[in-house]
Amino acid sequence: MSRKKAARSKGGGAAPSAALPPAAQGPGRAAAAGPRGSATAPELPRNGGAAAGRPSLSSSGEFYDLAFKVMLVGDSGVGKTCLLVRFKDGAFLAGSFISTVGIDFRNKVLTVDGVKVKLQIWDTAGQERFRSVTHAYYRDAHALLLLYDVTNKASFDNIQAWLTEIHEYAQQDVVLMLLGNKVDSAQDRVVKREDGEKLAKEYGVPFMETSAKSGLNVELAFTAIAKELKHRSMKLPNEPKFKLHDYVKKEVRGSGCCRS
Amino acid sequence: MERREDGRDWAYRVDPYGFERPDDFDYASYEAFFSRYLVVLTRRAIKWSKLLKGNNNIQKSIKVKRYIRKGIPNEHRALIWMIVSGAQTNMEQNPGYYHRLLEEEKNDKLVEAIKTDMNRTFPDNIKFRKTADPCLQHALYNVLVAYGHHNKAVGYCQGMNFIAGYLILITKNEEESFWLLDALIGRILPDYYSPAMLGLKTDQEVLGELVKMKVPAVAELMERHGVMWTLVVSRWFICLFIDILPVETVLRIWDCLFYEGSKIIFRVALTLIKQHQAFILEATNFPDICDKFKQITKGTFVTECHSFMQKIFTDPGSLSMATINKLRETCREKLLSQG
Repeated sequence: MSRKKAARSKGGGAAPSAALPPAAQGPGRAAAAGPRGSATAPELPRNGGAAAGRPSLSSSGEFYDLAFKVMLVGDSGVGKTCLLVRFKDGAFLAGSFISTVGIDFRNKVLTVDGVKVKLQIWDTAGQERFRSVTHAYYRDAHALLLLYDVTNKASFDNIQAWLTEIHEYAQQDVVLMLLGNKVDSAQDRVVKREDGEKLAKEYGVPFMETSAKSGLNVELAFTAIAKELKHRSMKLPNEPKFKLHDYVKKEVRGSGCCRS
Repeated sequence: MERREDGRDWAYRVDPYGFERPDDFDYASYEAFFSRYLVVLTRRAIKWSKLLKGNNNIQKSIKVKRYIRKGIPNEHRALIWMIVSGAQTNMEQNPGYYHRLLEEEKNDKLVEAIKTDMNRTFPDNIKFRKTADPCLQHALYNVLVAYGHHNKAVGYCQGMNFIAGYLILITKNEEESFWLLDALIGRILPDYYSPAMLGLKTDQEVLGELVKMKVPAVAELMERHGVMWTLVVSRWFICLFIDILPVETVLRIWDCLFYEGSKIIFRVALTLIKQHQAFILEATNFPDICDKFKQITKGTFVTECHSFMQKIFTDPGSLSMATINKLRETCREKLLSQG
């Protein structure tokens, strides 16, 4: 959890979209909102938008067309909360973070190809014993960002265990991405980028290295997820299939160059 | 607010415990509260010094319980916590035990987990900064490592870092902090921190049942929107309201927690929920509800710790240990049968 000192969000202020993006009126959009008999369902339909016909108003007062649930998972201390705060508020205050206890979430609305997508991003405690508390939330996640810390070998070695866990508790079609965080600490790096790439390839998962501190690829990670989810839920007849792997490969920045 | 230059004003930016006040701290309303509270503190200080006159020992009694509910003066807090929790007795019966634990060979995994949280425990407290002298991180590390070796079934669980941190701030003594931590985790709280966290899960469900009985409209709202209690209250239980409620309020709650036990946590939770019932019921969706539960732990209602502590003993109505034990039993069985 971030401290009170963390920079505030830039505020809502998104204009109410009077005109719907054309895609939102397209056919085949399941208006499947509603209870799914799950105690944990945060009122987001499983594989589609929260809004059937018109934009919804999120609790922060921002309009959106689609809503998805994203979860951040990975060992304790890999930087899940920092990544979220960097994405949400564009801030990184070194030494201002406290260990996350339990589970929490924040919303952010981003525009993907003219469609307003609300990501409800769940931040979880990484310590093993909290997993029995957080398991229950996997089931409703549309996407999972699995993090390790490139300066901590154990966090990388645990990725397989996390993947097993994800297979057991998450939906089969969950969008998954592997992130090697903290690449700003070049001198402390113990996990090579190639190792991350290799592991990701082995499991068929898109991969990128990130830095919550410098901002490297943070926006991209969430945007890529949002694009994939948006394309899955509202594909137009003549639209080419969105390829998450290709998109990530094309857009990703190396840690050697300046921040994205 | 600008960082002010002269020493007197600087002191206001950091509270008496070393926590930096947030930028949006409402100094005006805090001072209004504190000038009133100072009168209470002075009166209590006189009463307590009479009570403790000549002997630094007290027995549990109706009078002491009443005194504790009205707040232990900070200069006596460590001592009274030690006595009423039984930590003092344990410490006296096990001389040198704490220091022997520190000399034992360490479990690497435990040490690693604790180290991960060192810089993430109270970064907003000047006494826990690496640059502080003495830096309380060392004491925190020792207490947590010793405790993890003392209570191997629990080891280290996130949340304990914040609790131990508060104990160190109040006692200014590692060994006493260790024995108070043991009183909380080993006796007062039922199995919140062990790997299965069954006691924690149970108590969250128990709170749900109590809300059903005492604030049914809120229970119904939670049910309707599928909000699990764990999502909104797990930190209340795990961190014993640290970082949820203002420091002074947390300490007043802990005064009673050490004397009266874990049911105080339910009293606080129920008071927060009951007091803000109408506000919570304004929520129309899942994120709204979660947001309301964050907001009800802020503002003058919780800052005014003296009146807040009076309310926790009246607002929720009767709450017998028998009721809680019965609910604990049924909730625990339900959880176990769910696997």
